Parts: sequence; structure tokens; C-alpha cells
Amino acid sequence: MEFIQTMGKLIVRYHSFFEEGIVNTLIIAAFTVLLGTIFGTLMSGMRMSRILPLRWLAVAYIEFIRGTPLMVQLMFIFYGLPMAGFTLPDISWIPNFSRFAAGIIAMSINSCAYVAEIIRSGVQAVDYGQMEAARSVGFSHSQAMRLVVLPQAVRNILPALGNEFVTVIKESSIVSVIGIADLIFRTNDVIALTYKSLACLAIAALCYFAMTFTGGRLIALAERRMNHGR
Amino acid sequence: MAGEKILRVVDLCKSFHRLEVLRHISVDFERNEVVSIIGPSGGGKSTFLRCLNLLETPTSGHILFDGVDLCAKGQSKHIDAHRQKMGMVFQQFNLFNNMNVMKNLTAAPVRIKGMAKESAEAKALELLGRVGLADRADAYPSQLSGGQKQRIAIVRSLMMDPEVMLFDEPTSALDPEMIGEVLDVMKNLAESGMTMIVVTHEMRFAREVSDRTIFLDGGHIEEDKPSHELFAHPESPRLVSFLDKVL
Repeated sequence: MEFIQTMGKLIVRYHSFFEEGIVNTLIIAAFTVLLGTIFGTLMSGMRMSRILPLRWLAVAYIEFIRGTPLMVQLMFIFYGLPMAGFTLPDISWIPNFSRFAAGIIAMSINSCAYVAEIIRSGVQAVDYGQMEAARSVGFSHSQAMRLVVLPQAVRNILPALGNEFVTVIKESSIVSVIGIADLIFRTNDVIALTYKSLACLAIAALCYFAMTFTGGRLIALAERRMNHGR
Repeated sequence: MAGEKILRVVDLCKSFHRLEVLRHISVDFERNEVVSIIGPSGGGKSTFLRCLNLLETPTSGHILFDGVDLCAKGQSKHIDAHRQKMGMVFQQFNLFNNMNVMKNLTAAPVRIKGMAKESAEAKALELLGRVGLADRADAYPSQLSGGQKQRIAIVRSLMMDPEVMLFDEPTSALDPEMIGEVLDVMKNLAESGMTMIVVTHEMRFAREVSDRTIFLDGGHIEEDKPSHELFAHPESPRLVSFLDKVL
């Protein structure tokens, strides 16, 4: 009871910290989902391409990204790139642009690999007979993909893609290590000010859960819409 | 025109890695002819049929369709055009699950041949009527029985006005009471003069409907004769023992 009271007081007093953290977390997650989906789709196209060098490139990328920690990738982009001579520009009217850019780029690079695999497995889960039947009536490979295989693959892909989006919200907490004021970063600020670490972390956990739960519900709703139209 | 060779297979070989599935097959098919291909499982029947429209790429040999060698260099980019003239019916039906029956039937003629949607739909309804399914035009494949799916798969091929129809064990995945309805459709098709090549385990269909029956075993043609003769007087010992088991 006392614990909940403490949480309540912390929220009243430091709500602006948590709010800013939530907003920044959502910004990072939204851009990551957008870019990760766009590039993940392209990457899955490369991964399934009949042009072998493209396919190998995609396999190497996907395996490497999925086989190394996001933390390392993030550090590499934020600290490593400037050392190698690529500096992310600062844009005066967007505070902390270079940090945010590095965070979003690293997260997108990471998510792209997972999205690519989600799409590939969704496409390959469609019975190969569908492709063969489409080819046998005279459709080209790309027509068969577009008209027959992909519309069926979408139904396999959407649920897994929804999971990935929820994962991105949670994983985005890692950008706090390069000084982006996301939810966990601001939570640490409040801990430093109040020493109430457990109550602060409980608030952060609840905020994350509220975001992932809402996100998950929204995606489930979109799925139901899709299934409705068959 | 009887005697015109619509499809000629010359020295066709197919191996999967080191496994030789088809060994030097040469055979001709005439226009308006109905040919059954029978034989034990693993004998290469399906692979042979799938080679005819290049769903499997032959390892060597030639397939001449209307005088054009489909295996010749440079023909691979015309393969879509050749396939439009060769209907294919699969064991597993393979109707497009994301489309209703009408869309299944009209997608190819509208998109590939540029047929007007209205005339494609009229044609689809007419053909559906002929197979007794005019009332299922709006159904999705998941709402149909196996026999209905297969009849619609046959209509889907017919929509493209093919010169040859290939059937890959069209009744093997069906419940026994549905086999008849599909065989009836095939029989009517045969009587209408369609050129048909049918891989089948239905010995009655082979004997009574098809003009000619080919016995394929061990990757090559053991026997190839008019159907009534092949069933009445089998010569090769392997065919004799095969017929003993299945009849």
C-alpha cells in the first residue's frame, strides 16, 4: 500500500520526466517500425531473389545482424561511424538530432533483418502448389507472386510482424545508453533524484506495458479487418 | 486432324542429383488423342507429366509442342505463352485460395489474354454450368468439397482454351464418392475432342476412356499400346504383375 502511495507521489511530482521519456520512446519505436518494415520488405525481396549475389548479400546481412547484440550495433553506429569519418549532422531545430538519428538507424538496421525473415517465412509458408498452378495457367513468376502468393502470405506475416513491433517498443530501451532521453533514461533520472528505485522501475514497467498492450490490441484489430475482407 | 503430332517427346531424361527418374523417353501424342499413363509409384509418371510443361526442367532431351522445341535455348522466356496452351490439373487441386471461384476462373484470361471481364465471366458461368457448379461462383475454395474443387480446377484450365490438358493424378486426393463426378467431367472432355494426357490410378478410366495407355516403370516406357489391347494382352512381365496387383 505504501509502495503504491510512493508510486503515486512520484508520478505527481515527476510526471514530466516520464512523459518526455514515453514520447521519446514512441518516436524511436515509430521510426524504427516504419524504416524497419520498408527496408525489411526490400531485404526479404533480396533474400528470395533468383539473382544469387543479391541473395547471398541478404543472407549475410540477416545472419550477421541477428547474430550480434543490438547494443553492439548501436555503439558501432553512434561511436564507430564518427571515428570512421561519417558524422551525423546536427539539425538546429531538432534537439539531439544526431543521437536520435543514430538510435533510429541502429534500431532500424536491426529490425530490418528480423522483418525480412518474418516476410520470407510468411511467403514460403504458402503452399508451393499455388505458385505452380499460377505458372501453369500462364502467369509469369512476378504475376503469380503478386496475384496469388503474396495476398496469402500477408495473413501469415501480419501476426508475426505485430510481435516484432511490440518487441521494438521494448528493445528501444537500449538507446538510453547513448544518451537519448527515452523512458528508461528519464526513469534513471528520477531514481537519481529520489533514491526510490523500485517504485520508479515499477512505474516504467507499467508505462512500457501500457504501450505494448495498446500496440498489440491495435495490431489485432487491424488483423481482424484484413481477415474480414478475405 | 487425326495423325497430327501435337506433342513430341524426344530422348527425355530427368535426374534429381544422382537419382535418374526418367531415362531416354521418346513418345508422340496426337491431336484429339486421350492417353493414360499408368505405373507403380515412383516410376516417374508425375515427373514425366510435369516435364511436359516445364514445371520440372528436363536434364536433357527435347519436347516439341506444335513443332517448337520448349527445351531449346532462348525458349525459356516464352514458357508462359506455351503454358497458356497447356492446361494442367493437379492432384491437390491448387485453386487460388485467396480468390473466389469466379476470380479463380477469370484471373488468367482477363490478365493474360486481355479478355473483357464480362465475357470472361459469361464464359466461366457457361463452363461452370457444364460441370454442374453454376451456383458456386461466389464460393471460396475452402467452402468446396474436393470433387467440386477439382471440377473447378479443370474449368480454370479450360478458360484459357488449351490445346492439351495434362492431368496429374486428378482423383488420387479425393474421397471415393467424389471420384465419379470428376471422372465424368473428364470423360465429357475426352468426348468433346480435347487432347488429354492423364496420369492415373483409375484403371477403368484408362481402359474405357483413353485411346492409348502407356505403362511407365523404372523411368522408361515399358509398354505403349491402344488401351483395350494393353489391358487385354499385356506383354511385359512387369506390366502383367502390375495389373495383377491393381485390378
